[in-house]
Amino acid sequence: MDAIGLWIGAFLTLGIMSFLYKDNPWYKLSESIFVGVSAGYWFITLFWDSIYSKFYIGVSQEGDNYLYVGAILGLMMLMRLIPKVGWISRWPLAFIVGAISGFYLINYFSSNIMRQVANTVMPLFSTDYGQSLFSASVGTIIDNILVAGGTFAGLVYFFFSKEHKGAFGATAKVGIWVIMVTFGATFGYTVMSRMSLLIGRMDFIFGDWLGLIK
Amino acid sequence: MDDQLYRQPVFRVFQIFLIIFTVLAGSIFAQDPAIGLTDSADVFVPAPPGAVKATDVVYDQGGAVDLEWELSPDDDGSLKVSGYYICRREVGGEDYRLVDSVMAGVRTFVDETVEQDHTYQYMVAVNGDCSTAPSEESNSITPDMEWLNFGLSNLFIIGLVICGSVIYFIAHAKRGKKFFIRKIAGLEAVDEAIGRATEMGRPILFVPGILDMDDVQTIAALTILGRVSRVVADYDTKINVPVSRSLVMTAARETIKSSYMAAGRPDAYSDDMAAYITDEQFGYVAAVDGMMVREKPATCFLLGAFFAESLILAETGNSIGAIQIAGTARPAQLPFFVAACDFTLIGEELFAASAYLSGEPKQMGSLKGQDVGKAIAMVFIVLGVITTTLAQAWDIGVFTWISDLLHDLFQVTS
Amino acid sequence: MKKEFLVYIGILILAIILYFFVTEPVTFSPTVSLIIIGLIGLALVLIFVRTIMGKLVGRRTVFSFVAISVVVPFFMTVEQPIQTSPEVQSLYQAVLDLKPGSKVLVSFDYDPPSAPELQPMAETFFSLCLERDLRIIIMGLWPQGPQQAEMALQKVMDEPAIASKNYRYGIDYVNLGFQVGNEFVIQRMGDDISSMFQTDYYGTPYDSLPLMRNITNFSNIDFSFNLSAGYPGTVEWVQVAVDRYGVDLGAGNTAVQAPQMYPYLRAGQLKGLLGGLNGAAEFEKAAGRIGKGTKFMVSQSFSHVIVIAFIIIGNAAFFLGERRRKEEVVE
Repeated sequence: MDAIGLWIGAFLTLGIMSFLYKDNPWYKLSESIFVGVSAGYWFITLFWDSIYSKFYIGVSQEGDNYLYVGAILGLMMLMRLIPKVGWISRWPLAFIVGAISGFYLINYFSSNIMRQVANTVMPLFSTDYGQSLFSASVGTIIDNILVAGGTFAGLVYFFFSKEHKGAFGATAKVGIWVIMVTFGATFGYTVMSRMSLLIGRMDFIFGDWLGLIK
Repeated sequence: MDDQLYRQPVFRVFQIFLIIFTVLAGSIFAQDPAIGLTDSADVFVPAPPGAVKATDVVYDQGGAVDLEWELSPDDDGSLKVSGYYICRREVGGEDYRLVDSVMAGVRTFVDETVEQDHTYQYMVAVNGDCSTAPSEESNSITPDMEWLNFGLSNLFIIGLVICGSVIYFIAHAKRGKKFFIRKIAGLEAVDEAIGRATEMGRPILFVPGILDMDDVQTIAALTILGRVSRVVADYDTKINVPVSRSLVMTAARETIKSSYMAAGRPDAYSDDMAAYITDEQFGYVAAVDGMMVREKPATCFLLGAFFAESLILAETGNSIGAIQIAGTARPAQLPFFVAACDFTLIGEELFAASAYLSGEPKQMGSLKGQDVGKAIAMVFIVLGVITTTLAQAWDIGVFTWISDLLHDLFQVTS
Repeated sequence: MKKEFLVYIGILILAIILYFFVTEPVTFSPTVSLIIIGLIGLALVLIFVRTIMGKLVGRRTVFSFVAISVVVPFFMTVEQPIQTSPEVQSLYQAVLDLKPGSKVLVSFDYDPPSAPELQPMAETFFSLCLERDLRIIIMGLWPQGPQQAEMALQKVMDEPAIASKNYRYGIDYVNLGFQVGNEFVIQRMGDDISSMFQTDYYGTPYDSLPLMRNITNFSNIDFSFNLSAGYPGTVEWVQVAVDRYGVDLGAGNTAVQAPQMYPYLRAGQLKGLLGGLNGAAEFEKAAGRIGKGTKFMVSQSFSHVIVIAFIIIGNAAFFLGERRRKEEVVE
């Protein structure tokens, strides 16, 4: 059985990869299988992990009647698929958007704004109170200037209430350059990530399937 | 040996000497507990620790009590004390039970195994080598959960200012006030891109991301879809909107239908314009890629929340020669859009574009309110960096005061 | 269509030959490895020269070179030196600072597509924890996460050094399984873990697990480690578990989202960070273990060199092409 699974996995892997040459029947077949199986998998996962284990078990075995509220909201959400009563789905959607916004408001304010601003406020050139103005190492000074200056310039770029002209525009220009450098670093990291996935697949093909590598 | 030997004076002296020697030896060895204790009166018992004070830990879930006590006078680093036992009982119930132990020299402990609204008392027993001496009982304490966490007041103030600005600007926008939004490069290309598709007689592909309607990026994408489909309806071009979530499909269909009706072309609308593919990320990508290669759209809009599939979509669109306008607020995906697409709406530019195109007061007001937040961050960063740098270098009073104030203002304790 | 089927049959025949008739792993000697490296280098130089001469290469050539750079190192006997970066070292140190018997919560928030990067991290982390007699509590916010955990745990448990310790399920480690709810699961765990996980991965009631008896919420957990490939993941753990409940958190991320975590690392919200396959290899180095992270790094490095080479070639083609177009316009 393992061997059959390996051959099917290899067949589908190579089929999807054949798209790199050009669109062909093997790719189309693999794509269709993948789309169909993934849709089916997610349906089953959502049914067993959400509806059965959360709702049915919760209500029937644990007596958590609050789950009925969630179930009713879920059914109301499905009314969107019936045009005549589609307006009913706005209520659970409003509940979800409101609850998630309220939940995230504190999280994002705390983690992504407050702590980051607090961490950006730093002494640029020195390390301790009473130390001389340039007591930090050159590397640390450059690091601090880049972080503080880059953060400020990036914020200026995303300020939409003022036209990017003059000194403000120049700062915004610095900001977009900093952002682009960041994108370059992120791109480099992502190339590594994609290569890792390819390496994983090749390890499967040449290692697990063909047994050519240890 | 006969009895006469025992009666000899020398032997008597020897016997007495032997007895004295045995007693002395026994008492010397008996003083070392490692060798053997024969009498509990010889055990060293350290002095008990001083007053134990129990206080409720503030701003928690009601499940922790803070203990503090004075060290035993014998806890002076001379190893007479090896540690302390923390014991607890529930008032009106059981006996004292051991909760935990700490090392010598430690005078505080946080008991995180209590339950809210139960009343407890504590004793701390000093642990000598083979003895313990308990303290007096502590005060009774009932751990509680506060209604408000005043330790997060600064978070509340900042949140109030930013949210207040958003509400203020939304109210102004509803009264008809026009707000200025700076030029956004990708927006100006929208009409041109749709015109190109019309001239070439090829369809337009619009991908509104892969998250559901609860994600704000999807909502922004659908707002832009409304504008795009209005232009598409005017130009009589074909549009395809493959989606990854069923609710997004319904919302997309409503949006496109409204646009076609506003353009006076309800007959040209078809439900097939927005089709559900699959929830699975790469299954969706595979299908959209196939669509791109087979139908060869002239223009691709990739707007919304994307994950790993972003580069695959952008690269495939590039390979078929389509003009691509992308936008997402997910920083990890922006590099691919910037590299592979003709125009990219970076981060918040997506929401600005959505506000600009829709002109909706809530979106415009939100954008202006967020600008207030950014302005606050910019001002405080500049002020904070200058004052902290100067304070660290010269320790001048006012700079130090401002620096500490700013640090406290933005510090969040958990 | 006929041509395509001929190609399919050719690939099938090749696969059958390799599968059934090549039974031993293939390894190139160091000499052959160096010759291959030299040949690839020469080919790149040739492509560069041809590009300068105006003869551009197609993207299929680029794909072929990437495939060769990934596959060929599997067979080569080349080692790559690996240096541990500060963020990896701080994570390693954070684990070393835990006393034997400490409870470690490991959240598996990824699925099989991200396994090449994150699975080596998981295996090394498990190995480190079990060597140091730490107690492991596994959970997942992604459906396939706990299954990935089982695979990693099984592999580590089979290692002789760990197998000899005879760790017992339910006492030394547990797998609580997957729970739907994303960040709300983390929020509820801050109050009461058993409210989210009534049973474990195998259906055993929470209270029947000896390891979980004295664990109510995060305050009873000594360290948390999150392996994340997207949403929900490290960002949610930082925002909820760290900022609200003061959890000590280390993270392993795919390389795509690792750059986003550096602000959290810098602000002290993360105790350490492993980024991508490189992070996995560095972690293995720090832990003194050779796993797939280390083995794959050679392929990783080769493919990066190929990418850099083609970036140079591509830019040369672009700028030379611009110059030619300008010359044609002038003429």
